[in-house]
Amino acid sequence: MNAAAPERPAGADIDPVALALTRSRLDEACRRMGQVMTRTARSPIFSDSHDFSCFVTDRNGALVSQADGIPIHTGGGGFTVEAILAEFGGRIAEGDVFVSSDPYAAGGNHLPDWVISRPVVVDGETIGFACNRAHQSDIGGGAAGTYNARATDIWQEGIRLPVMRIVERGVLRRDVWRLLLLNSRTPDLMDGDLRAMMGSTRIGVERISRIARELGVQTAFGLLDAILDHGERRLRSALGTLPEGRYESVEYTHSDCFDEVDIAIRAAVTIADGHATVDFTGSDPQMRGFKNSSLVNTHSAVYLAITSYFDADLPRNGGSLRAIDVIAPLGTVVNPRPPAPLSMCTATVAHEIGHAVWKALAAADPERACAGWGKSIHGVTSGGMDSPSPWVMYHWNTLSGSGAVKDRDGFNQFGHVGTLGGITMHNVENYEQRYPARFARQEFRRDSAGPGEFRGGTGIDYEVAIGEPAEYAFRGEGLIHPSGYGTNGGRTGAAGRMTLAFDDGTERPAPRYGVEAHGPLRLHALSPGGGGWGSPLRRGPDQVLRDVRDGVVSREAAENVYGVVVGDDGQTVDTPATEALRASRG
Amino acid sequence: MSELSAARASSPAAPWRIGVDVGGTFTDMVLADATGLTYSFKVPSAPADPSAGVLRVLRAAADAFGKPVEALLESCGLFVHGSTVATNTMLEGKGATVGLLTTRGFRDSLEIRRGFRENQWDHRRPFPPVLVPRYLRLPVSGRIDRDGCEVEPLVAADVEAALEEFGRERVEAIAIALINSFLNPVHERACAEIIRDVWDGDPDLVSLSSEIMPIMGEYERTSTTVVNACLAPRVVPYLKDLNARLAALGLERPVLLVQSNGGMTSVGRIATRPVRLLLSGPAAGVGALNAYRKAAKTGNLISMEIGGTSCDVMLMERGAVSVRDALTVAGYHVATPSVDIHTIGAGGGAVAGVDDGGMLFVGPRGAGADPGPACYGLGGTEPTVTDAQLVLGRLRPGPYADGSIALDRDLAFAAIERAVADPLGLNVEDAAAGIIRVVEQHLLLAVQRISVERGRDPRAFALVPAGGAGPMHGAAVGRTLGCARVYIPRHSGVFCALGMLYADIRHDLARVFLSTLDDVAPGELEAGFERLEGEARTMLAEEGFDRDAVRLARELDLSYRGQQWVVRVGLGDGAGRDPVDIRERFENEYDRLYGHTQPDGIVEISNQRVVGTGALPRLTIGGTGKATRDPMPLEIRSVFVDPGIGRRDIPVYAGADLRPGHAVEGPLLVEERTTTVLVGASDRLEIDAADNLVVHLPMEAA
Repeated sequence: MNAAAPERPAGADIDPVALALTRSRLDEACRRMGQVMTRTARSPIFSDSHDFSCFVTDRNGALVSQADGIPIHTGGGGFTVEAILAEFGGRIAEGDVFVSSDPYAAGGNHLPDWVISRPVVVDGETIGFACNRAHQSDIGGGAAGTYNARATDIWQEGIRLPVMRIVERGVLRRDVWRLLLLNSRTPDLMDGDLRAMMGSTRIGVERISRIARELGVQTAFGLLDAILDHGERRLRSALGTLPEGRYESVEYTHSDCFDEVDIAIRAAVTIADGHATVDFTGSDPQMRGFKNSSLVNTHSAVYLAITSYFDADLPRNGGSLRAIDVIAPLGTVVNPRPPAPLSMCTATVAHEIGHAVWKALAAADPERACAGWGKSIHGVTSGGMDSPSPWVMYHWNTLSGSGAVKDRDGFNQFGHVGTLGGITMHNVENYEQRYPARFARQEFRRDSAGPGEFRGGTGIDYEVAIGEPAEYAFRGEGLIHPSGYGTNGGRTGAAGRMTLAFDDGTERPAPRYGVEAHGPLRLHALSPGGGGWGSPLRRGPDQVLRDVRDGVVSREAAENVYGVVVGDDGQTVDTPATEALRASRG
Repeated sequence: MSELSAARASSPAAPWRIGVDVGGTFTDMVLADATGLTYSFKVPSAPADPSAGVLRVLRAAADAFGKPVEALLESCGLFVHGSTVATNTMLEGKGATVGLLTTRGFRDSLEIRRGFRENQWDHRRPFPPVLVPRYLRLPVSGRIDRDGCEVEPLVAADVEAALEEFGRERVEAIAIALINSFLNPVHERACAEIIRDVWDGDPDLVSLSSEIMPIMGEYERTSTTVVNACLAPRVVPYLKDLNARLAALGLERPVLLVQSNGGMTSVGRIATRPVRLLLSGPAAGVGALNAYRKAAKTGNLISMEIGGTSCDVMLMERGAVSVRDALTVAGYHVATPSVDIHTIGAGGGAVAGVDDGGMLFVGPRGAGADPGPACYGLGGTEPTVTDAQLVLGRLRPGPYADGSIALDRDLAFAAIERAVADPLGLNVEDAAAGIIRVVEQHLLLAVQRISVERGRDPRAFALVPAGGAGPMHGAAVGRTLGCARVYIPRHSGVFCALGMLYADIRHDLARVFLSTLDDVAPGELEAGFERLEGEARTMLAEEGFDRDAVRLARELDLSYRGQQWVVRVGLGDGAGRDPVDIRERFENEYDRLYGHTQPDGIVEISNQRVVGTGALPRLTIGGTGKATRDPMPLEIRSVFVDPGIGRRDIPVYAGADLRPGHAVEGPLLVEERTTTVLVGASDRLEIDAADNLVVHLPMEAA
């Protein structure tokens, strides 16, 4: 390890053409890592929900490039490499590969996300690290499928990995490999997935070392720094478009996974001098259940919320992250003390953190405000654990509706903020081949979208029959309380609901959180709708008519909420009546 | 053989072949006569009436030969048409009003789109408009289960009610896509029968997902079927009309069309499957590579066709271009066999600039045709790749592109100075050279994606740059890739029209076959292949190919258990029926793609496929007169050659002065009518017997 950093070349010495070339080559290397992962991993979670991210850091752990990642991983990379450096600094050799996961001890975001990291060594100097963070199918713990909704401490969530060498100078440590597989209910999947992670990072190392060798090590150091500087300038320039000031907001989660309690996340966003400080002081203490957000996840959620507020092409690297400070008091829900459980945090409370930051930014710049997204309700059903082919099925097809922004309605089915819509849902035909399930319905809800000039997404009416005894892990964050808040006069989307219907004809609501075993049943879910943007009285009457014809808004709601009177034929707007009605509502 | 070269031709030798490529801007025609001589013509397209463009280019050719159009068509043995009419219908959102029948409970699959996002960070961008509004997506009760068994009967009353609604809404075409119909189409067929009895539309305008593309996955199958239905009323009448107009003018054989798979088919066959035409133009590049194989003496070619706004890259290995399952057009998912073309936004018109963080960028946005690059003097102020080439002396100021535009160097210089050089603190020449380096890296990465990423080593390939801007970048990109040769067709400006004359008839057939490789019943697999082969033979027989002229190839889609991405594996002749052999072929290909295998992984089969090809007799590209004396350059010009050499006085040749047999050492430029070729410092240019330009690159350790 090259501890003594060479003197950094001044920015003026950087060849701007070489900078552009190098940045795009690094991005391409990262993209290629992601492509290899998507196509070769064994668990469907990677090709379906892209619940992984490939990234490259510099030698200090600053994120240089990231591709094909789930957005809630953005900004987590540096912490992992920092943990490696803290543990192994000075003793890192070419051919080493590290594995790590623990949020308290190894810079992890939550336990199921394991990181494989490889140093890029050229001419004896460590240039950086090529890494892959990926959600494992099962890591032991109290429930199959990594989400133990009953957990009250981290040991109940699965095996904890400190930073470990899994490969030492090119030699695989079989003892470690066996230890990892032995701690999973699905060792076959894990074996294939770890191989894919190893393969993708190996390709990253090959490509990045080639780039560094061609440039020369010192030039490469200078260009990596310049890439970070550029990222910082871009985000500062975007933040500079916001009026300076301090903007406060609060967002709640309504359950600690055991009891219904309101837990507040309070954010104060201070914009000054092209810099944002996000202060969570005043947020509630850490909770009993597994939704506490690790510090790494809190950082990521903040970066996600801020960068997604601006242009899609903003660099999201360690440089742009320098334009943001996060203050997360220890012992709170956004930075818990060990051994608080936290496996759920990449969905909840990442979603709430994102909402809190978006709400604060909306106060600074209402035009660009993002209405709230329906919180997720998708649980996991698993079975066959005693058979040769255990199965773990995610109910992705219950994803929620997203919120509206100016000039765009919410997406009717999209997912939670942590994914920014990056989840690919299944065809039910594929799912029926793979699992003992028959699907009855996956259709838009009616009158569930948060009304607005731009309305929220509708959410989904979903029903599936599971034909075998199975275990159900419930994660109904979006049930009971509406979650897709409206903005600029737009209204809130409807809450979710979930019921279980049994073969004996009985039916009851599903628990919000918990793990239950059941025989064959039908699961019926209504996922929450997203929030609206702007007053529904300003929505174009033709758009309201289209929603009525499409059956996602009722005629009553068109009249009562949108002030649009639809003619008796159901095909036309009664314009005089609409104008009069809207005028009377002011 | 420059464009419009017919003027010097006496009369082509009958029978000849004609290829017409209707693009957005130009309609290109290539005529190849019985001796292999090739003539090309170009006229502006007529977007409102594409067949008028076809007739116009035929008339231009007929005039040039001093013949009536009828004479041109009567002696035409093969008329091939490639058209963007299907693509443009989608891009412009002008598809037909379609009614969709779905299984009750799933009327929204088409609009949910499985949540696919091109760029999830771009969450403010809406999806493209859904092709069938929800009020025209109507549910019918009835269910087929995962084994293909009926578990709920189809409710005919639902179909009848939907048809009433469709009638009220005056739908032009109907799509039917029911859950699990890929396993058992009985409900879809029953719906179609009711429609035939009740609906007064043309039965060709009813699309069944189990016929259009019987794959697993209701979203992709539905989307493909709906796109087919959207296209049918727009595309099929045009094709039938064109066929009739040409027949009336004397064309004896029916018009053939280039499909997305790079092969041809007849108008009659495409009438129920217009969705297979979406890549009709660019897919003809396969034929062009076929045409150059013999002259280039290799079946390993990578084409890089660069126009004003984009670059299409395609790879041919041992004479075959790989075909993939799906493509996206205007944001719509279409599962049809399609040539594997990688497209990036990097053409001559790609805009260069510096972002607000100080980073140089080139593309992907293009300046378009209007205003176009700054140097066109049409009001554009943003510098483009073309402006950079002009500043570097590689393009000649003044008349350009057959004289349709005049290039102004001062405008190019000013644009680069303002938008790139000043913000970066570079002089204008270095800034221009930087723009070229960045765009050439984009091209390089594009070629690597289609080669290295597919497990192919580009050093084993010859690069074929085409299009107006390709030949300027070919040598530089080829050199970085480590290619030994760059093969530049004289006809690079009509690459696809020429390709149409060298395509084969091709049909891709597939059926779902779900099994693990270890448990496969060989008899069932064999029976499935034989069924597909029978279908392919029948189709080709109807198109005039007897048993001997037909080639059939078997393929399987394989993956390790749990993986979503399949690897398509060819089974070779006769062999490949044994699971051990199949596994070995799969693992070889898998290793080539991803660099590792899963020795204990379970291999699963998802589809079996048959590719049926009817080969047309090969044409040989004929050469023209051989060189008799050394070529003389038009002029010696100061040109920025490359970053190592900088500016130097180099010879500039007129393309027409370079004849077969000529060989000249770089650096040099060749000016053709619609393109300019840059040959680097250590490169050697030869004109081969087929009159194409071959640039030999120095071989050195990379």
